[in-house]
Amino acid sequence: MANQPVIIKSNKYGLIVILDAKLSWEELKKEVAEKFSSSAKFFGEVQMAVCFQGRDLSLEEEMELVEVISANCQIQIVSIIDGNEALETQMQKAVEEREENPTDLMNLQDGRFYKGTLRSGQVLESETSVIILGDVNPGARVISKGNVIVLGTLKGNIFVGAAGNEAAFVAALSMDPMQIRIGDVIARCSDGAPVKKKKKADDTPKIAYVEDGNIYIEPITKEVLNDIRL
Amino acid sequence: MSEVIVITSGKGGVGKTTSTANIGTGLAKLGKNVVMIDTDIGLRNLDVVMGLENRIVYNLVDVVEGNCRIKQALIKDKRYPNLALLPSAQTRDKTAVNPEQMVKLIEELRGEFDYILLDCPAGIEQGFKNAIAAADRAIIVTTPEVSAIRDADRIIGLLEANEIHKIDLIVNRLRMDMVKRGDMMSIEDVIDILAIDLIGAVPDDESIVIATNQGEPLAGDSSMAGTAYMNICKRVLGEEVPLMNMEVNNGFFAKVAKLFK
Repeated sequence: MANQPVIIKSNKYGLIVILDAKLSWEELKKEVAEKFSSSAKFFGEVQMAVCFQGRDLSLEEEMELVEVISANCQIQIVSIIDGNEALETQMQKAVEEREENPTDLMNLQDGRFYKGTLRSGQVLESETSVIILGDVNPGARVISKGNVIVLGTLKGNIFVGAAGNEAAFVAALSMDPMQIRIGDVIARCSDGAPVKKKKKADDTPKIAYVEDGNIYIEPITKEVLNDIRL
Repeated sequence: MSEVIVITSGKGGVGKTTSTANIGTGLAKLGKNVVMIDTDIGLRNLDVVMGLENRIVYNLVDVVEGNCRIKQALIKDKRYPNLALLPSAQTRDKTAVNPEQMVKLIEELRGEFDYILLDCPAGIEQGFKNAIAAADRAIIVTTPEVSAIRDADRIIGLLEANEIHKIDLIVNRLRMDMVKRGDMMSIEDVIDILAIDLIGAVPDDESIVIATNQGEPLAGDSSMAGTAYMNICKRVLGEEVPLMNMEVNNGFFAKVAKLFK
């Protein structure tokens, strides 16, 4: 067994894959695929960092191997680490950083202003929360990883928590959107002849948020604001 | 210094060409030197609305390609000596001209005219880009229909992105009786959505259809549409003119009053 072409060693945070230096590239890939599919059950569904040893790999070759691995088992490779010094700590760091998602937190807390009316065909995309001083007209789109506040009329499409954050919210002085998407939850406005709509029912400021997988739109009150998490 | 105004809408069939013809005629009646340029290459019709079709010898593409001088292509209107038309070509398409050529052409015309009106084709492609390339300001024509307003909104966004910030709105084909019944959007509703300045509203009027078919713009005559267009022309010049009353009085007493006229 000493001359196995592919050996997997693992620790809590990552895998060390030791590769045979002499085997042809195609054969090696086949061996890696076999090895991982046979141990897929053992690893289960985990996030791990990976380190390849025993053979000099180009960047493309590394990527190819990662693809082979993820095709044959449920391991999610979050990072490739080279060298073997203090390997475990490096692997630990890579996985933990990933778990914390520090960027998402920043997006919710940070914001930017946009002044002007967003018109049909215009798209405002933002990594952070957005405050719009103006209207969002039908046919316009706002996409934010954080929250969106519209100091005006919201009639277009809006997508908040675009990185999958369902705690995000949308608030508008006048809420009449075509479609709201919060994280992965989508709601659209009710059908009905837009012209017949006599003067918009009410123009009270409203807020949209997700609860139990549904989007709720309610007037902004203290009670509702208390439930909002930032 | 002359002013270059592009008349555009996004959607087709809302009255760009009719508005161009009437504003051009109205401004000429007010004593300004005006040239109208039909930028709708391949689908020319401003000349038809103006009743000048039979006088076309050279066109916009000929000028741009250097087949003739601008002076040769300009058609002087038979009714107003200070009104001219530069017709577009019927046999070519929008790609025959590019925005740089339009800018150059209009720079040459600036010296001779007070107002240069550009009749823009529908859509947002090459023809639109050509038309807005040299414009100082824009007049958006829309009807009180959701589709036209949606397109107008998109056009306003594109104009702003192209650094044209003086944008005014004409609401065309307004029917006050329908607005009253709540079956049509009012001027206020339209402005509420588009958020730009209103320069005039034109009622849906039979006389404009007749005038267009006869090639005889009606700006300045006694019809409601004629008055509305004349008011728009005055506002283009910077005059403050209140919005006209567009209610058609068809009640019993109005009919009786007509009998005694």
